Amino acid sequence: MHNSTHIIHSSIPFGLDATWVAVSILLVIYAVIMAEKFNRAVLSLLGAGLMILCGVLNQQQAVAGIDFNTIGLLTGMMVIVAISQKTGMFQYVAIKAAKVVKGEPWGILVMLSLVTAVFSALLDNVTTVLLIAPVTLLITDALAVRPYPYLFALILASNIGGTSTLIGDPPNIMIGSAAHLSFYDFLTNLMPIIPIIFIVVIAVIWLMFGSDLKTTDEKKELIMQFDEGAAIKDVPLLKKSLFVLFAVISGFTSAHALHLEPATIAMFGAALLLLLQTWGEPLHDKDHAYEAIMAEVEWTTIFFFVGLFIIVTGVEHTGVIGMLAEKTLALTGGNFAATTAAILWVSAIASALIDNIPFVATMIPLIQSMGPTFGGQEALVPLWWALALGACLGGNGSLIGASANLIVAGFAQRAGHPIAFLSFMKHAFALMILTILISHAYLYLRYLS
Amino acid sequence: MLAKSVMTKDLITAHLGEPVGDVLQRMRKHKLRMLPVLNDKKVAVGVVSTFSILEKIVPSYIASGDLEQVAFAPDIGFLKTHYDQAIYKKIEEVMDDTPLLVKHDESLLSTAAALTSLDKHEYALVIDDDECLVGIISSGDILDYLRNMKVNDKNDA
Repeated sequence: MHNSTHIIHSSIPFGLDATWVAVSILLVIYAVIMAEKFNRAVLSLLGAGLMILCGVLNQQQAVAGIDFNTIGLLTGMMVIVAISQKTGMFQYVAIKAAKVVKGEPWGILVMLSLVTAVFSALLDNVTTVLLIAPVTLLITDALAVRPYPYLFALILASNIGGTSTLIGDPPNIMIGSAAHLSFYDFLTNLMPIIPIIFIVVIAVIWLMFGSDLKTTDEKKELIMQFDEGAAIKDVPLLKKSLFVLFAVISGFTSAHALHLEPATIAMFGAALLLLLQTWGEPLHDKDHAYEAIMAEVEWTTIFFFVGLFIIVTGVEHTGVIGMLAEKTLALTGGNFAATTAAILWVSAIASALIDNIPFVATMIPLIQSMGPTFGGQEALVPLWWALALGACLGGNGSLIGASANLIVAGFAQRAGHPIAFLSFMKHAFALMILTILISHAYLYLRYLS
Repeated sequence: MLAKSVMTKDLITAHLGEPVGDVLQRMRKHKLRMLPVLNDKKVAVGVVSTFSILEKIVPSYIASGDLEQVAFAPDIGFLKTHYDQAIYKKIEEVMDDTPLLVKHDESLLSTAAALTSLDKHEYALVIDDDECLVGIISSGDILDYLRNMKVNDKNDA
């Protein structure tokens, strides 16, 4: 993200004011993205193009505004996940988890939530729920229990788990990259509160659904007949994937000491796994495999980010984000604790209702602009944790709060158990508020008291 | 050579509103794996096949490919339950409502191209200018026609 803010007035057509042009582009594009009538990547690229065509930015400034660390980290992890998921390891772990608790319905809910949270912390949330939700539906069919409590828990667990690491959720990737916060920083600052939030949420889910989750001994025995070993489809590839995943995660934890950016580690890991995946195969098969993996990278998301970075850079160049930061500080009276709380709660509510990626993309330069007021960029660190906790946990507030929520809802719909928007929100929003209250207490006790 | 010259004209059909069980019985009786589904104006609105019925019996999270393989799962018992429910459903609930349609005056080359295009189909429904069903043409029909064709006729296909 571009740090400097300076007002430019050159080459704006019809003598229009650059600030109004840039802000109008941002507002119109964000509004149409929220309406969900058009593809969000197309809209963000259109907005980015307009920023240049209208003279708010030149192409050089636009390209400089793209955070290639975020783009590289996302793309690299998408490649690694696309290959790893072919091994069946996710299904293996999910089934193993169900068997560890001897097929007990409540135990299975807890274990599947835990597995989802851990995978969501290490990989992206969407992939995690894409792989865990179908197994969950199969297990609930076998148990003859209502799948809703399980899917509800899965959604919450994926967003809670994703909050805990640099790579767990796209907002964290963006924040880490912009604020130069390492994987280790996320582990030591966000991870400690996540188990507490997870336990509290699971306890509330128990109060909500615990008494409904009953099955027969016969059905439990059916779960014990699942053969997790048969889920592993490719043992050599599993070994290669685990090796690269372990190496990449280790790389993230030591990236700071090695003076490496996470994108370098993720892209190198991706290239290494692509190479290992097809090692020893004929060239034609290799090419085919590479192309198949590349097709699985979510290019829509990548281009959405590219466009978004340019749009936000355009607005940032006009100085309007700096002005917004000043207004925010005026509202909080320049008080650091009040500003932290405001960022946490506004991010949470906003992320429950709108896409948290454009929200975070806009908040990043706004928080950076607060540096001089609070004594430099170093002093802003608690504000970044407030943004990460608010944006990631806020995703639990509604069915549209995060992409993973919509994926699970899609599975439920197709399986004949649709999740109603309002009935989900009735429980989930209250639980989200609870998690933000816990986060608020944590931020206060650790950084502000 | 045109599609109407190669197509099968003696048709067994299913109709909107019929129970799946009755249609399955008809398919079994005539040793057929698929039937065109017509509305009351004889317009082809879909195709019901053993595959499209099985697809509705297997849970959506498996049939959709989201769970690529379930070799790890024992027989859970839901296939029989779902089958027993499916046979009482109306045919429109289990049919494929995007059948491959070709016009009766389309060339054989165009028909063969449609059958082998991206969404590969085993059968195409042949319709007249009023979109009423007049025949079915399968990949096998085309191969049989080509086998019986004389060398001198080759410009016709």
